[in-house]
Amino acid sequence: MEVFKRKPKEVDNNAITPFWNVVLNIVIGVFAFTCVFPFLFVIAISFTDEKVLALNGFSLIPEKFSMAAYQFIFNTGDQLFRSFGVTLLVTVLGTLISLFLITTYAYVLSRRSFRYRNFFSFFAFFTMLFSGGMVPNYIVATQFLHLYNTIWALILPIAMNAFFILVMRTFFQTSVPDALIEAAKIDGSGEFRTFLQIVLPISLPGIATIGLFCTLGYWNDWFNALLYIDDASLVPLQAMLMRIQNNMEFVIQNSMQMGSSFEIAATLPTETVRMAMVVLATLPIALAYPFFQKYFVKGLTVGSLKE
Amino acid sequence: MSAFFKSLNKDKVLWFMVLPGTIWFLIFCYLPMFGTIIAFKDFKIHRDGFFASVLNSKWVGLENFNFLFSTEDAYIITRNTILYNVALISLGLVLAVGIAITLNELVNKRMAKVYQTAMFMPYFLSWVIISFFTFSFLSVDKGILNQVIVYFGGDPVSWYGDTRFWPYILIFMGIWKSIGYSSVVYLAAIAGIDKSYYEAAMIDGASKWQQIKFITLPLLKPLMVTLTILAIGGIFRSDFGLFYQIPRDSGVLYSVTNVIDTYIYRSMSTTGNLGMSTAAGLYQSIVGFIMVIVTNSIVKKISKENAIF
Amino acid sequence: MKVKKSLTLALAGTMLFSGLLAGCGSNNNTNAAKETNNSAAAGNSAGSTSELKPYELKMYLIGGPQKDLDLVLKEVNKYTQEKINATLNITMFDWGDYDKKMQVITASGEPYDIAFTSSWTNDFRRNAANGTFLGLNDLLDKYGKETKEVLDPRFLEGTKIKGEIYGVPVNKELGQQWVWRFNKKYVDKYNMDISNIRTLDDLEPLLKTIKENEPADITPLAVPKGFKPFMPFDYVLGDELPIGVYMDSTDGKVVNILETPELATSLDTMRRLYTAGYLRPDVATLEGIDNIKTGKWFADREITQPYAEKGWSRSAGYEIVTSPMHEPYVYTQSAAGSMHAISVTSGDPERAMMFLNLLNTDKYLRNLLNYGIEGTHYKKISENVIEDLPAMQDSYAMPGFTLGNMLLTYLHADDPADKWDAFKKFNDSSKEAPTFGFAFDPTPVKTEVAAINNVTKEFMPALYTGSVDPKTYLPKATKKFKEAGLEKVIAEVQKQLDEWNQTKK
Repeated sequence: MEVFKRKPKEVDNNAITPFWNVVLNIVIGVFAFTCVFPFLFVIAISFTDEKVLALNGFSLIPEKFSMAAYQFIFNTGDQLFRSFGVTLLVTVLGTLISLFLITTYAYVLSRRSFRYRNFFSFFAFFTMLFSGGMVPNYIVATQFLHLYNTIWALILPIAMNAFFILVMRTFFQTSVPDALIEAAKIDGSGEFRTFLQIVLPISLPGIATIGLFCTLGYWNDWFNALLYIDDASLVPLQAMLMRIQNNMEFVIQNSMQMGSSFEIAATLPTETVRMAMVVLATLPIALAYPFFQKYFVKGLTVGSLKE
Repeated sequence: MSAFFKSLNKDKVLWFMVLPGTIWFLIFCYLPMFGTIIAFKDFKIHRDGFFASVLNSKWVGLENFNFLFSTEDAYIITRNTILYNVALISLGLVLAVGIAITLNELVNKRMAKVYQTAMFMPYFLSWVIISFFTFSFLSVDKGILNQVIVYFGGDPVSWYGDTRFWPYILIFMGIWKSIGYSSVVYLAAIAGIDKSYYEAAMIDGASKWQQIKFITLPLLKPLMVTLTILAIGGIFRSDFGLFYQIPRDSGVLYSVTNVIDTYIYRSMSTTGNLGMSTAAGLYQSIVGFIMVIVTNSIVKKISKENAIF
Repeated sequence: MKVKKSLTLALAGTMLFSGLLAGCGSNNNTNAAKETNNSAAAGNSAGSTSELKPYELKMYLIGGPQKDLDLVLKEVNKYTQEKINATLNITMFDWGDYDKKMQVITASGEPYDIAFTSSWTNDFRRNAANGTFLGLNDLLDKYGKETKEVLDPRFLEGTKIKGEIYGVPVNKELGQQWVWRFNKKYVDKYNMDISNIRTLDDLEPLLKTIKENEPADITPLAVPKGFKPFMPFDYVLGDELPIGVYMDSTDGKVVNILETPELATSLDTMRRLYTAGYLRPDVATLEGIDNIKTGKWFADREITQPYAEKGWSRSAGYEIVTSPMHEPYVYTQSAAGSMHAISVTSGDPERAMMFLNLLNTDKYLRNLLNYGIEGTHYKKISENVIEDLPAMQDSYAMPGFTLGNMLLTYLHADDPADKWDAFKKFNDSSKEAPTFGFAFDPTPVKTEVAAINNVTKEFMPALYTGSVDPKTYLPKATKKFKEAGLEKVIAEVQKQLDEWNQTKK
């Protein structure tokens, strides 16, 4: 006879009262719904027939179902897949490089025994506020480093971020007690080994956070592609999207001066295609999100102080 | 000087570890900073390239900064920028921490994860796309909000022509888009807190609220302070899309929606002068910098640990 | 204190570092420039084409990059090598990106030879003021004679800045004329006579008919927020800013348009039309309007060119008819709708001009660049008429009006045979606006211009579309413009205009 074996529900003595649980669930639930709601529309619009959309405006259920938008995009052929591949490569490689640069720098900042930690903190922080502007950055990247039309132009310019460094430093400082590091030192571990084997594992939530932010940063970046890439085989996904959007807006705003431009307007993609692009560009990263999310769950990290 | 070499010797591994990042900063941030000099010049192109252009351009001192101060708009945009930022920073902090703590306390962990993923979604939408949706809500003839109002017997409101509501609308939209992203940091921090602290507190008879007040919040304090100081550095900057796209650049609303960044953008629309735009950026940077130095010093006096430098 | 000391040390170090690298960078540039200068000089003194050294021309064009560009360029280069021993290296930037990319490229001093420029992207006046482009008067006389002959001289006049030409204009429609466009469906339905509709007052009764008899979702006057009622002014700084000269002015006086009776009546009319419900209620927030797509409109406005209705009707899928608002005029910006400039960083400006001359006068080259390769991208129906093949839409759809003399290009089957003659007639009949040829240099009042830009965006769209009551808003706008320094800008414009008028005599 089949007996349904259910794992006994873990009783959490420290849980909040059921009343509060319901109230908070509702509050957060409603808010979470408003966050997702526009996305549902975006998806719905991408499957709607263009003419019907123009006539009747947005509606949650497509009044006239149409795959035209997606067909249009997939007609661009390998460009879409290539862009996707570029974005994937840049994101993975970039995140790894960023995490290396950020964690090493932040670790040094977190070591209270390091004489110059305040100096380097300031050194990093200063760059958050002051920048030479687009043109000098362009010159450094193209004329000095010759990064034009290379994949590195998409990775290096945003590899470091003072904001992430300072957050990471805070994580290191709060999750790794000095006593632990001193203990390791007494045990004969060098700084780098301490870093790798003790500090990093404890700081997993922080690293997951910064890793997530780096991934998002690389995935969404289109500006560097705009500046440094015109080789079609290196254009990342968001840049492709942005390009099309900018074109549409430009032609709309300037059509009167461009004069004989009505031929061009006819070839530009439409609202539905725009939405379809948002779906295609966002879905992969939204799907990757749970991968990072599991690190934010409370209690995942082992309490380290006990010994 | 000898202290320097001593440190080099004693902490040589640390010096090695900090080197890659430092080199990156030098190349990608400090090197291009020479460009800020354009802010003080009347930039003209010289055939021998950028440096020749910079060297040969006339020095005009503070002239490029004038347009930021020349009219009464200067007061309006500054006031708007600061007030919106104060609201966004403070509300953002309270809500981000609040949501992070709440998500952790919800009994059904799977629902919590779903909520959290959902709250992250707005980050992926651009302000242009979001403005389509706010438009479908606020449009005076076909907007959902007005339809509801009329249904209940009221008069339709010309949302894009009435300044009264916009501070609330903009602050709400600003928080709505970024709260998912900001709460992640706090979530991760809470995840790193040792569970045994809570268990011990509970055994001692502490209520949930007391646990939050005496354990969670103090442990989150370093992060809160750091993030707030950093946010203050951006006090003169704004999220351009929020203040330009959402109000659909409606002129009538400028008195409450014009911030420094939108003002700069609109000023440059017919002239596009590199010197002026660089000057504007420099102005925003300097103010933010001073604010951070001041805030950091204050924090240093209260609790040295939490200061940035 | 320690932080301060190490800080100053570090900053000093960085400055030094920057300075060193900067030195390296500029050295490279000057050396390269010197070398190419020499070779150009050598080429020059030789004179005849057979002695020209081979040279690669770097050219930036606007438009979506096309898959078959390299294929077509191979053919192009075969031809140009024969003629002027030069090859072309073309990079295209998309519509929305072009301006920003060119700004960065020119500011960073990257060497190139030719770039597309106009009044609406990569602004030729801004570039000329910045010293980006070479003055072309001499080059045109020496190597561009044939181009000059083909162009309506007003093209060149209109694009002169302080007497020097900075761009080779594309020969196309010269005059600018706004027309009212009508959705023929409704014109026929109510048997309307649109042959004499010129002003808003003429239009009003028609709008009323539509409003009263058609359901609410048919917009009588379907215009977006950029709409401006036609007024008899020549706008000196673009039609956004209220600075202009009367079209029929004989004294060249620059007026503050806000204070003119024409503006007051136009605004009242627009307000009347708006409150009557002839425009969309949210018109002041509409960036663009999709009336063509939905077909739910009666009238709108657009800039025309000969046979434009055919193009519009074709892309809309239903018939559109027009009625002109005014006579065609030649404004400075209509002459600057499409041009090619030569960069100050060009290694061989003479060769660049030779190429442009070829492009604007050689029928084979011009069509090759525009339509691609015969047999691959199009097939010829007759000597001058072609039919696009599917490969063109896929791999080589170039924006014709940006590439050079339009009058040389092949026609399509549904184009009227006399299309280019009609263009010529249109151009010849266009009158010159009073400030035609005058280019204002905003540098002395750049602060005030920036300020009034902001005021313009704050008030003018709402006023021009009738969305707000001019009785309350116009005085507010006037006051704010005054504070922003409108008077000062007007005085400066007058000053420069007077100087320019002197030189004309």
